[in-house]
Amino acid sequence: MFKTTRRALMVSVLASGLMAALPVQQVLAGGEVTISHYFTGDLGLDGLKQIFAEFNKETGITVKDSPIGHEDFKTGILVRAAGGNLPDVFSYWAGAKTQFIINSKSLHPIDDMWKAADLDAIVAKPIADGATLYNGHRYLIPFGYHYAGIFYNKKILQKAGITEMPKTWDEFKAMCDKLKAAGVTPIALGSKNRWPAQFWFDYLLLRTAGPEYRAKLMAGTASYTDPEVAQAMELWKQLLEAGDFTKTPNAYDWTDAADQVQRGEAAMTLMGTWITGYWNTNKFTDADYDFFEFPTVKEGVPRAAVGPVDGLVIAANAKNMEGAEKLLAFMISKPDVQAKWASIQGALSANEKVNPKTYTPVMQHALDVVKHAPAFAFNYDLATPPAVSEVGLSMFSQFLDNPGEVQSMLDQTQTAAAAAFKQ
Amino acid sequence: MEKDKTLWRVAMLIPPLAVFGILVVWPLFSSFYYSITNWNGFSADYRYVGFDNFLQIFHDPLFTRAAVNTVIWMLAAVIVPTGLGLVLALLIDSQVPGASVFKSIFYLPICLSAIVVGQIWVWIYQPDWGLLNTAINLVTGGNSHFAWLAKPGTALYAVIAAWSWQQTGLAMVIFLAGLTAIPPDLIEVCHIEGASSGQRIRQVVLPLLRPATVVVVALGVINSLKGFDILYIMTGGGPFNSSDTLAMHMYNESFKKYHMGYGSAISVVLFLIALAIIFAYFRQLRKVDEIYE
Repeated sequence: MFKTTRRALMVSVLASGLMAALPVQQVLAGGEVTISHYFTGDLGLDGLKQIFAEFNKETGITVKDSPIGHEDFKTGILVRAAGGNLPDVFSYWAGAKTQFIINSKSLHPIDDMWKAADLDAIVAKPIADGATLYNGHRYLIPFGYHYAGIFYNKKILQKAGITEMPKTWDEFKAMCDKLKAAGVTPIALGSKNRWPAQFWFDYLLLRTAGPEYRAKLMAGTASYTDPEVAQAMELWKQLLEAGDFTKTPNAYDWTDAADQVQRGEAAMTLMGTWITGYWNTNKFTDADYDFFEFPTVKEGVPRAAVGPVDGLVIAANAKNMEGAEKLLAFMISKPDVQAKWASIQGALSANEKVNPKTYTPVMQHALDVVKHAPAFAFNYDLATPPAVSEVGLSMFSQFLDNPGEVQSMLDQTQTAAAAAFKQ
Repeated sequence: MEKDKTLWRVAMLIPPLAVFGILVVWPLFSSFYYSITNWNGFSADYRYVGFDNFLQIFHDPLFTRAAVNTVIWMLAAVIVPTGLGLVLALLIDSQVPGASVFKSIFYLPICLSAIVVGQIWVWIYQPDWGLLNTAINLVTGGNSHFAWLAKPGTALYAVIAAWSWQQTGLAMVIFLAGLTAIPPDLIEVCHIEGASSGQRIRQVVLPLLRPATVVVVALGVINSLKGFDILYIMTGGGPFNSSDTLAMHMYNESFKKYHMGYGSAISVVLFLIALAIIFAYFRQLRKVDEIYE
């Protein structure tokens, strides 16, 4: 009945060609930005999808997302870099890790975008100075940051008769004794992935030797065999030997430690504010928990706050540089986007325009602590180069297993760290 | 006609050779190249450092520990599954009731990926509610919370146990195939001549299982050299590098410390070890072939 004539064939080919060209035209109008990140939790992924949809609505640019789990991201992004296959934008931790890839010329500076979006008026100054400036240029937008504090189970402390949170080291030790007398292990720690132990070293060193000395150690101009380091480790050792920590911390993850506190098997854990996101999803709300600052150990030493800054960076060879810069500006400069993201991640926003009332009371407290802290220090594995932090993190695990041999561990760490700094 | 055939053969060989070349040969030569540089994995700038990376191996205590662990891993990962596989094959071959069911059950783990096996055993070793401590506590009436994977003295051996659990099924099946090749008349003669079970196994079955044993051992060595994933998922080389093997050490140096040049040097050493073992294996295979020809 139907005859395929040459003309009909040509028409159909032309028509299908036009139809195929239509979506191409649409894509070209806005373009596409590729992104990889480590926010793979259910809430984080959903939140980002919503944010990317809003970005697409505003700019017409599509965001092609490839999330990777937090631990796998650390190596996954390196594999992509090694293959010259970095996405346009990727999440990264501000500090020594970012410095390392900048030194490798893998990132694109964003000074112009920073000025055009007037980010100086938006980003909190201590975070802007500490997390975004490298070799005199801006490279990273702080997408959110966390603060590490001692999070505790309110009921457990009440049961043990503790109503005042400790301000000094002696008060803290007395509190631990009181908890043990009430039959509760004072401190939960899950250092299976090593990094959760670092906050103890960070705070003990910062509270005894101060931020300046700690910065020297992180830069390789001070030594792990210095008395300052020995003193911090000695204080940690005393707690371990007094039975203040849960047993074999290296067998558990930080979420196990959070669960131990939630179940009341331990009273507190030194962790970042992301623990609030974890607890909230586990129906352990801020009516059940709170935190207090790491106590003063030595009078007169500035009480620095510790935490990581999650950032977004642009690859030096990004295919859609303009789109990538637009995405970064969108992510940091919209207070509603920042507020939503902060609430999902249990993070604090680096955008000063975000209304603090959008935070939970616990997060408002954390914001207040950071605002009044004389310094904000990155946690150990973000403060010292990756090759050195690998050595140090292993030393912390070894120390937790056998605190008695701390001196020889510090000697070995210094040898390995010195070699790593040389490379 | 013959020329056409040759052309077809060449044409058919090109796609697999191209895949092999891109995925195996090219990375192999890249590793050789990077092992003589100080590349960090990110930077486009790196320089030639000669044999510095190879010399560094001699001053690296973590390399020594990883090398010792690799030898332990290879020996145990070959001896244990081979021994257990042989025992299981002999038991199943002796027609115990339900032999075919046992055969399927013992073979099942080899169908699972090493990641799945690793995760199952992470749960088995969990200190508080893991199957192992629960069983020990039931039997002894104690209250053990021993952290098998978090203690430097047990971590490597705990992974070897998991690995052996998976690999035993493969050894068993190869030995069973070897047992079916033994002429039944020969076994019958043993019975008629009044040989005990022990004598029959020692003096007849085991010598005739030699070809199967060579295959099992060779596969065991090759698989153990590739045994990275199960270690990665169970301990990641920890605690504090105590269960590092050379493959794990190479990974940590390359991808955690960003010493891609040094990591490549370790991979070259590992490649040479594997090459020596495979060379020895082929020599042994030739000897076995000569015996049976």
